[in-house]
Amino acid sequence: MTVPAILILIVVSLIPLVYVLALSFTKSSMTKPLQEFVGFGNYRAAFHDEVLGISVRNTLVFAITTTVLETVLGFILALALQKERLLSKIFRTLALLPLFTPPVGVAMIWRLIYNPESGMINHYLMKVGLSRGFIAFLGDKKLALPSIIGADVWQWTPFCFLLLFAALQSLPREPFEAAAVDGTTPWQVFRKLTLPMVAPALIVVFLFRMIISFKVFDLVFMLTMGGPGNSTQVASFYIYRVGFKMFNTGYGAALSVLILLLISLFTTPLTIGRDLFMKRIGQE
Amino acid sequence: MATHEFAVSGEPTLAQEESPGSEGALRLLKRTGRIFVIVLFLIFILLPVAFICTTSLKIPLEIRISGALLPQGGVVWENWVKAFSEVPVLRYLFNSSLIAFVSAMLVLFIAVPVTYSIVRFRTGGFLLPSWILGTYVMPPIVVSIPIFTMVKMVGLTNTLPGLIIVHTMLNLPIAVWLMDSYFRAVPKELEFAAWTDGYSKVRTLVRVVVPLIKPGVMVAGIINLILSWNEFLFALILTYSAKSNTFPIGISNFVGEHGLQFGQMSAAALAGIIPIYIMVFFFARNLVEGLTRGGLRG
Repeated sequence: MTVPAILILIVVSLIPLVYVLALSFTKSSMTKPLQEFVGFGNYRAAFHDEVLGISVRNTLVFAITTTVLETVLGFILALALQKERLLSKIFRTLALLPLFTPPVGVAMIWRLIYNPESGMINHYLMKVGLSRGFIAFLGDKKLALPSIIGADVWQWTPFCFLLLFAALQSLPREPFEAAAVDGTTPWQVFRKLTLPMVAPALIVVFLFRMIISFKVFDLVFMLTMGGPGNSTQVASFYIYRVGFKMFNTGYGAALSVLILLLISLFTTPLTIGRDLFMKRIGQE
Repeated sequence: MATHEFAVSGEPTLAQEESPGSEGALRLLKRTGRIFVIVLFLIFILLPVAFICTTSLKIPLEIRISGALLPQGGVVWENWVKAFSEVPVLRYLFNSSLIAFVSAMLVLFIAVPVTYSIVRFRTGGFLLPSWILGTYVMPPIVVSIPIFTMVKMVGLTNTLPGLIIVHTMLNLPIAVWLMDSYFRAVPKELEFAAWTDGYSKVRTLVRVVVPLIKPGVMVAGIINLILSWNEFLFALILTYSAKSNTFPIGISNFVGEHGLQFGQMSAAALAGIIPIYIMVFFFARNLVEGLTRGGLRG
């Protein structure tokens, strides 16, 4: 029963990874792969590649900022909705909309909103007198990356909310009832009861978001193409450019290997940390 | 059964007991604060969607000079008519629907048995589940060059079957991950009974287990359908003409070629967003449950 699935895993991960690894040690192009063995040449080039440095930094900034913002906002929202029965029902349906909006739609929506002449933000900023001229959110080196982060927060905060809301709902009632009898303050209840009990779910959500954030590609492709300058250049988009626009697949492969290593550097400790934490509090 | 611990219920379990009199004012204040936060978020979620809808109904000239939420110069359908006549929107929607539907079906066909096998018979021990998870963690760009090469080798670039196969392979891990907790919730005894009655493993799966976890299979199917519909990277590198362009690629190409005609583009984008929203509303409860069960297990 598992043969087709294993075959797929081989085709979709094992063969590609081996092939990428092989390519990364060669001079290769899209049409002529594996022309010449160059040893660690591509990797040496990568260490001197300024754009790679920028894209790694941007990827980290993007991944960490979106993950923290979305987890925190989602948690606040989940806490606020715990006691609002009707609202929480409505909210849980509406929260699915940003999450499932096609990324091309998300990009269109936010290009429109950020646009100087046609966008809503500029229109209303000027109307209330907060800005005098048009702000080119996506065309400004300082604002472009935060603007993409804004679009991502719109799309993914609802997801964090959904998971954390469900986690809060599943907490046992008894400790909270006991605390109420003891006259504990709400802040103490939150610090000593809610937070530790919901911590495993928080870590899972955090990890999950981080993994998805590291993959960011479509928003950058459709909102800024990595620009202006390289201010929104991220790892995935840079590899795409090297591999599919400059057709330098050997170098693109080396970049892929490096990015994969970087991501495992971040996600592995988090995964291990979570397992240790789970063991300590006696879950799973 | 540990699997139901994250089931979503509408009951607020943290609800505090009503306390009388003097604290009433404080409670009211707190509640106002809560409602304020919630309404703020609601606006944040809905306003962007509302804005693209109203923009698609504005007069094109007005769009160029004003970003007001509501159309000032009246509501027109011009943008919608133009979007459908100048962009092959219907063709893109057809391509996307076909790819999404067929690949979602194929994913289920392969994922159901493998998930069952992993959950019930521990096939592949620790290795297989980790491998599946690892495949999901890996950014798709990392394998894009080899996958492009393989698809090219078998001559399936710029074809619908090519993208169907790629989407099926890419979405398989997610389907396994989503259905896992549903399979775990099925009591073993039922299957033992079926085996004693002489059912084969495959027949037990099809006749006994799958009917019990219909919601899980359905959720996995819908989510895979939407993921394929939304998928960007592989559709971008594997299709290069309207013949096989999916909706996301068609729209994004059009933006690149024709600059930003926001009215038309809003209408075209909405043509691909609205079907998804209808589906989401229709299956909202299942989706919330499926996501939270799968998601929280980690």
